Formats: sequence, C-alpha cells, structure tokens
Amino acid sequence: MSYGAPPPPQPPYGAMPPGQPPMGGPPSNNLVWAILTTILCCLPLGVVSIVFAAQVNGKWAAGDVVGAQDSANKAKQFAMWSAIAAAVGMVVYLIFAVLIAGSAGFSS
Amino acid sequence: MTQLRELAPRHRTVPGSKLVAPLSTAALALSATAYVAAVAPGETGHYPACPFWYVTGYYCPGCGSLRAVHDLAHGDVPAALAHNPLTVLAAPYLLWAWITWVRRTLTGKPERYMAPPWVLWTLLAVIMAFWVLRNVPGFEFLAP
Repeated sequence: MSYGAPPPPQPPYGAMPPGQPPMGGPPSNNLVWAILTTILCCLPLGVVSIVFAAQVNGKWAAGDVVGAQDSANKAKQFAMWSAIAAAVGMVVYLIFAVLIAGSAGFSS
Repeated sequence: MTQLRELAPRHRTVPGSKLVAPLSTAALALSATAYVAAVAPGETGHYPACPFWYVTGYYCPGCGSLRAVHDLAHGDVPAALAHNPLTVLAAPYLLWAWITWVRRTLTGKPERYMAPPWVLWTLLAVIMAFWVLRNVPGFEFLAP
C-alpha cells in the first residue's frame, strides 16, 4: 500500500476518438493522474506527465486540436507507466520483505 | 466520425449503473485512506521507503505524502502541512476532480472548462522548486 493503490479506471474521456472536432470539448489533460503519480507514487516520472498535461491546455488554447490530443495521450502514458513502475516496485519490495522475514525467522 | 459512432455498441444502462466507476473509485480511495489512517506511516517497517529517496538520498516532491494523508485523516492539518504541503493542496483538487467526473457521467456532457496554461506551468514550477528547496540547507521546514 506504500505508493497508494493503483490508479482507478479511466474516466469516460478515453472513449473519444482522437482528433475529435472541438464540439466534443477539450481532451482531458489527465492532470489528476499526473498529480496522483507525482505526489502519491514517490516517482518523479509523474512530473513529466504534468509537463504534457500543461501542453494540452496550451495547445488547446491555441486551437491545436490534434496537438492537444497528442499531448493528452502522452500525459496519460507517462502517468500510467510511472504507476506501473510503482506497482512493480511494490511487488518486488513485498517479495524481498517476505524473503528477508522468512530467512530471519529461520536464522534466529 | 459518424461511421465510428454508428459502429459503437449502444449501451442500455440501468439508471445509476453509470456511476459504478466513480463510486468504486471513491470506495477504493476511502479504504486506502482508512488503511493509512490506521497504520501509521511514521514508523519504520509499516511501508517501504520512497524509492527515489532510497536510491539518491534526496527527498522527492512526494516524500512525506503518506504521513500527510495519515495526518489529514486524523484532522491534523498543521502536521500534514509540515510533512508534505503539496498533498494538502492536492486533496481539495482531487475531490473537485471527482465531483466534476460524477457530473460529467450524469449529464453526459464533456468538460468545457480548461484552466489557462499558465496555471499548470506554475504548478510545475512550484513542484520543481519544492523538490529542490526541501533538500537545501536552510529550508528544512519543507523536508518531510
């Protein structure tokens, strides 16, 4: 539980096809995942996700719909990978903790 | 795009079933918070150390966040601020994001509001400054 639980299911935004015209509303900048991975995951990879999240808002404001969607996807991917890395690290840690506890139990 | 729309399966949803994702997320977040509230993160052996701190010896922007969540769950805001002020700032934002998610789900309308880009760049600058400063002598009050 150290890094917080793995990210919950994605909001329904993901269902939107890329390059959707502006009438569909701006793409989600996935800032929630960026912040969750930065602050709760201990992994600085989440900071990269915040950079892309900021790009989404900038590109959308400039009228660059495709670029905004592209940055949104990258923001999501970086948040996802840092969460996966955290989950893998947690599993490895738990395995080591169990092994060490086991060997300590045998030796003492 | 219209073709995509036609090909997409049409869901017949039971009223309220759309809220399964937000509600299960809330349940997950609340149970995780309850666990952190019950099992004190300040004591060694309860949780693994931050990997960044473990490898580099420096604090990352997230160091102290578990302790801050623990403090917040016990209503101790000053202690939470001392452990990780960013977590205290993030809590209301996450709550707001959840509320807008529920609203989007219920109304079916996409979010129209987007924060001006400078807000996010400022956030990034604050996080980076916080990351550096909490490791600098003289700014020990920012360390977890």
